[in-house]
Amino acid sequence: MTKKHLILVILLIIVLSTIAVFVAPGLTQKAGIAPPATVYSRSTDNTSSVEKPCSNEHPEWRPTQVIEGVTIDAAPSCETDNPYDIAVSVKGTNNVSMATLMQTNLAQDALTMTDDLDKDGDPDVIHIKLEVVELNGASPDGDFLINTFDIAPGIQPGLWVYAPKSRGMALKNFNSVVANPLLRAPSPVIRVEQGDKVYITLENTHYLPHTIHLHGVDHPWLTAKGEDNDGMEEHAVFPGKSHTYEIQPRHAGSMLYHCHVQTAQHLMMGMSSMFIVEENQPNNWLQTFNIGAGQVRHPSVAVKKSYSQEYDLHYQSVDKKLSQIIQSANDPRLIAQRMRLDYNMTESFENYFMLNGHSFPYTLRDGMIIADENENIKLHVANLQRSSIALHIHGHKATVIALDGVDQPAGMQVTRDVFDIAPAQRIDLHLQTQNDGLHSYGPGLWMFHDHVPVGASTDGMEPGGNLAILAYKPLLDEQGMPKMHDELFDQVFNKDYYAKKQAVWNAGDFAPLLGDAGLLVPDYLQLIIFGLVTGLIIGLLIFSVLAYKRKQKQ
Amino acid sequence: MKALIIGLLLLSVIESASAMNHGGMVMDEKGMIMNANSDNLPRDCPKISENVDITIRAGQKHALKFTGKMFAFDQQEWNVKPCAKINITFINDDQIRHQLMIHGLPGYLYPEGMFHLELYGEGQLQASLIMPSQKKTYLVHCELPQHMEKGMKAQLKVDGGNGDLPSIPGISAPVKADVYPVDWARLTVAILLLCVLAGFAIPFFVIINAQSIKNRIQKVLGKLNLKRKQSGIN
Repeated sequence: MTKKHLILVILLIIVLSTIAVFVAPGLTQKAGIAPPATVYSRSTDNTSSVEKPCSNEHPEWRPTQVIEGVTIDAAPSCETDNPYDIAVSVKGTNNVSMATLMQTNLAQDALTMTDDLDKDGDPDVIHIKLEVVELNGASPDGDFLINTFDIAPGIQPGLWVYAPKSRGMALKNFNSVVANPLLRAPSPVIRVEQGDKVYITLENTHYLPHTIHLHGVDHPWLTAKGEDNDGMEEHAVFPGKSHTYEIQPRHAGSMLYHCHVQTAQHLMMGMSSMFIVEENQPNNWLQTFNIGAGQVRHPSVAVKKSYSQEYDLHYQSVDKKLSQIIQSANDPRLIAQRMRLDYNMTESFENYFMLNGHSFPYTLRDGMIIADENENIKLHVANLQRSSIALHIHGHKATVIALDGVDQPAGMQVTRDVFDIAPAQRIDLHLQTQNDGLHSYGPGLWMFHDHVPVGASTDGMEPGGNLAILAYKPLLDEQGMPKMHDELFDQVFNKDYYAKKQAVWNAGDFAPLLGDAGLLVPDYLQLIIFGLVTGLIIGLLIFSVLAYKRKQKQ
Repeated sequence: MKALIIGLLLLSVIESASAMNHGGMVMDEKGMIMNANSDNLPRDCPKISENVDITIRAGQKHALKFTGKMFAFDQQEWNVKPCAKINITFINDDQIRHQLMIHGLPGYLYPEGMFHLELYGEGQLQASLIMPSQKKTYLVHCELPQHMEKGMKAQLKVDGGNGDLPSIPGISAPVKADVYPVDWARLTVAILLLCVLAGFAIPFFVIINAQSIKNRIQKVLGKLNLKRKQSGIN
């Protein structure tokens, strides 16, 4: 090979390399004339993941009814409370027939009500028994969660709740890992009467220590026996043990109860709810448990005098990093260690926001406020999440009547449309549905939600979080679901949506335009040229090296 | 036709049981017994083979003998003959609720295939059941959330059973085992390094002693050949 040949080969290699650089295929590429097709779902599961908005399991639970002499108000929403739970919560497990008790999952000693001490027609010695239940917990027997409770489609964060002492199966049925309806978030709202002698027994059915701290409720520091009555960490109730807290509250108002062992973590796991002390009134049989919060279907005598309806609104948030700990291992030591040492709350976020244990769209099943025009509704709102809440009710301005369980004097009852509630604070609101342009703008399906933007999202997906609806009755269907929302329902009652496998706007006229962009088809011509050119370059290089060596040998 | 009628009767029994739970249920303020059976023989049993009295204690303290558990029964396995009648004394040593459930029993005697004892707190109760003749392992557990998962799980074997169930404390391994960090001490590292060094030295050893190894191999081969020739001659 002559020198001239060698220079030619080198020049050729340079030219070819330049071409190769220009036609090189990349991981991303400009689309040119034909952008990729729209993708509506990236789910690999072919079975439909769309759920029925309302399963309509118990339509007979909705109307007004009388059980064991207890009047239970109508509740039109999809998943309303079992009226038998309410009757037993009002009369006590000791004052109802076996047949009634059998319609509930309550244990026979869950709620004992005796002794009319002040002779005013209602029992004044109340024994309440609470257990601790883990929802969406781990199992050593396979890769599944047990005693599941979905807060939204396909979303099962590990949770701890207090539950009224129950009996029988904790699962819904034999072929299911779903928790029975009594075992759910949030922990039940508890109501007692001012002046009652109340004994609250914590029977710790869980595998870690817990307590009950009666936040804001009038309680002595020690029990009559001189034992802990404040639920502090150093007096934890260990697994398999029980402890009874004793109170005789002199002051009425909306208070709290929560676990005070590793408080930051245990509170965020869900061990908190409202404890409401109602004014002492004659014949005042109270609904001791409001399972899952929401509408109070048997309000107290004092509430009935001034209001047409009463609701408990329990706001809660979950950090998925924390809630995953109980799903990551079965050994209680590993769980305790990961929660106490490995998990650092100062480096964490809130991912799920719940109203009455559910995130949107499940809030539509049991978290709605359902009203007629010209009603006076009492709302008890508690912030049991980590961050502050800015509660906004669309189309309405409500009035603050009490803060942290203390009535506001008439001149300080502020009417406004955003209520700031710091963690652990409670506000009692008077919501009026008079269409007067101030308190209400008229009938509608009015959203209400935390106006802090993350509050309306579920792990960053909207619509989600604690979003719910203040619904006027004519706008609900016979199953208690909002009318005119079918398209939205198809989208959000779908676990793929919250698993982020689905385009946000994947149905309707705009779906092809606003669905997710798919992948680009490769440019095969370009690909072939690139392959040929690079092959040639390598061939030329080897050839010239061999030629050069042979020349040197000669 | 007869079978159909029996089937319908059974169906109605099960339905009423699930509606009211009154079927085979006894309940008081201390606990409940569901589907106890001390008289009715399973279809495959001509008579009761043996009477077995078993005391089962449930409680947090019984988990102490296992690491990484929180609740347990005092025993994890019982063996009975086919068609045995078992008289269970169930004792709850805790101040909380515990259950003793046996699953997989014939549905015509035990609605939903289940025998269920429950104590609402400290205490005890007694109930009997009659096992079928089949060689089988039955799950015995407390079904409160996380109680079985955290150790309150056992097995009842009839005629030796058909194997062990998973994650029975002290008896069988879990399906999904937890992961633990390994204790790496200095000695552990030293042993590992030594082994690596030894492995590395083998080829060098072979090269250095190549000649003597060759000789030895040839010797061995030679002997073998000799033997083969001799056997060939014979």
